[in-house]
Amino acid sequence: MADRILEIDRVSKRYGNVAALQELSFEVRAGELFGFVGPNGAGKTTTMRIVLGVLAADAGEVRWGGTPITFATRQRIGYMPEERGLYPSMGVSEQLVYLAELHGMRARPARAAAAGWLERLGLADRGGEQLQKLSQGNQQRVQLAAALLFSPDVLILDEPFSGLDPVAVDVMSAVLREQADAGISVLFSSHQLELVEQLCDRVGIIRGGRMLAAGSVGELRTGSAPRYWVDAPGAASGWARQVPGATVVRVEGPRTLVELPAADGDQALLQAALATGPVREFRRDIPTLSELFRSVITEEPAA
Amino acid sequence: MSTAAPERSALGARRAVYLIARREFATRIRSKVFSIGTIVAVALIALYAVLQLAVIDRINTTTTFKVGFSGSVTALAQPFEAAAPSLGFKVKVSDVASEAQGRSEVRKGSLDALIVGTPGAPEAVVETGLDPTLQAALVSLAKQEVLSTDLSAAGLSPATVEGQIAAVSLHVDTLHAPTAGQLQGPIIGFVMAFALYLFIGIYGNVISQGVVAEKSSRVVEILLSTVRPGQLLLGKVVGIGLVGLLQLGIIAVCGLLFTVPTGVLALPDAAIGAVAIGVMWFVLGFILYALMLAATASLVSRVEEVSSATVPVTMLLVVTWLLAYVVAIPAIDAVTGGGALSPGLETLTTVFSLIPPFTPVLMSIRMAAGEVPLWEGLLSILLVLASIAGMTWLGARIYANSILRFGARIRLTDALRRTS
Repeated sequence: MADRILEIDRVSKRYGNVAALQELSFEVRAGELFGFVGPNGAGKTTTMRIVLGVLAADAGEVRWGGTPITFATRQRIGYMPEERGLYPSMGVSEQLVYLAELHGMRARPARAAAAGWLERLGLADRGGEQLQKLSQGNQQRVQLAAALLFSPDVLILDEPFSGLDPVAVDVMSAVLREQADAGISVLFSSHQLELVEQLCDRVGIIRGGRMLAAGSVGELRTGSAPRYWVDAPGAASGWARQVPGATVVRVEGPRTLVELPAADGDQALLQAALATGPVREFRRDIPTLSELFRSVITEEPAA
Repeated sequence: MSTAAPERSALGARRAVYLIARREFATRIRSKVFSIGTIVAVALIALYAVLQLAVIDRINTTTTFKVGFSGSVTALAQPFEAAAPSLGFKVKVSDVASEAQGRSEVRKGSLDALIVGTPGAPEAVVETGLDPTLQAALVSLAKQEVLSTDLSAAGLSPATVEGQIAAVSLHVDTLHAPTAGQLQGPIIGFVMAFALYLFIGIYGNVISQGVVAEKSSRVVEILLSTVRPGQLLLGKVVGIGLVGLLQLGIIAVCGLLFTVPTGVLALPDAAIGAVAIGVMWFVLGFILYALMLAATASLVSRVEEVSSATVPVTMLLVVTWLLAYVVAIPAIDAVTGGGALSPGLETLTTVFSLIPPFTPVLMSIRMAAGEVPLWEGLLSILLVLASIAGMTWLGARIYANSILRFGARIRLTDALRRTS
């Protein structure tokens, strides 16, 4: 499996005077769910289009299994573009089979795969209908089936969760997890950071065409300064400043959020709190991906 | 998934084009443009043939004459009835018991004429006057009767003499043989050219609409993640072109079936030749226009903008048709005796029919009229093939550069310059 790795290596792309991507590098390993997060216009869609060969990069290289990606290997990538699109007046099964054939499948297995995925996604009885007769959510499921049914080696999904109802979100999450567990490299972008945090093995935070941080959520956390919630009802305001290096992030009634330069300062902080009277709560604050995202995005000046 | 990996292999260029063309063909053939268009066109041709037949009938046949025979002259009734069709009229002969009864029937109008007397000296009884054709026929029969009687009296066999007379013919030495289909050639060519103009227009529009529909529905992004723009473009042109060719073929075959056996078209060879020429020029013309239309249509993202984007190309087609009109009408006139084409017009026609965008329609008229020298025909085909090659490169470039740029209309110069 070590050779089945998708590498984006110092890829750059300009649109006129706008640098959409600046030497962007990251990798998606086999069996890994990689979450791609970043504000609008950060370059997520551009990156995905370059991987799919729909756009050409100005510089840099995309490799699959160690060799530069070619037209033939691109056909092994399942793609769900941000702007969803299939043939509105074509039958659901018919166009799934067509798209599978365009990815090199023969007609018979393509039909079997289409039937299997429609069954799996709860659309077994809708295969004969025109796509436009289906609800938005169901069209989205067909779109997912289109990306999956030819058993791709890599899945690239641009905002797969946008516009889904909670049930469909669960179905989509389960399918993505299952695909990754089957050894497929999955790259997807999303603005739903809680979902990305739950689902992804690794996360990349992109802004202004640069990768600001990439790694597991745990790894991203280690990069940030530790914070503690302290509930000391008897403390006078400004008590925490006595601790060397400590900064007060926020005060909510009796509770204070304190940031320390290093995790080994926690005992000094607790002692300082106890010195003010009773301590009801002393807890390490584990930042969510949203918080990490905000801190990373605001720390880095815009390109 | 836990199931075994389904059979698949890398998609070759030929299979990609085949799959795309097959989808286009299967989708379009189920469309209303195809079914209703074909039915309407075939119905129009059938209606035309029926109308023509009715007109021919009206011209060829007058009312049926009801002619009664009475007495020994009745011996002429059978030869008279047999001779009628070749003389261009119809008769209904009857035996009348007595002259008196016959006269009263003529008076009542139930008989047009009553023939009495002997075979050698018939007499006709009519209400107002005897039709000259009927009169001539009767006189001729009576003369023959007299001749036969005299021949028998002279000891000669009337049958032998008649055979010898029948063998006499006039040999005609034609110094300037007319070309078969001199008149029908240009007319068929004109009809064929109109069909070409119509079909290139209709199916060219299907191409440009299809290009933008894929763009506006964004399905093109998925397609281009697995096939190349050139393959997609070629597949569309082939698939839609074949549907057009099939429809044109059905209509042409129906046209020939309706018109040739019924005698509406007297020269099936000329018609079949014109259809063959028309099919060739449809294929070449369609490819050329489809490439130009696809390239210009790919500049816009919304279906409503297609017609304005493709105006330069559709104008070219309209100009072609106007030229065809200018060319075809004098060509028909020239054959019908209105004099030869004026030298100026002939040069103009020759020059325009060699300019590739005008060639398919104009050449199909000129070739059907049979006035094109071989070298000109071959040159025109070569020039169109060369421009198809050029447009394949240029059109594919514009298409590839524009097809994934959504939003506002793209300027042609940008589409040509940028390599995305």
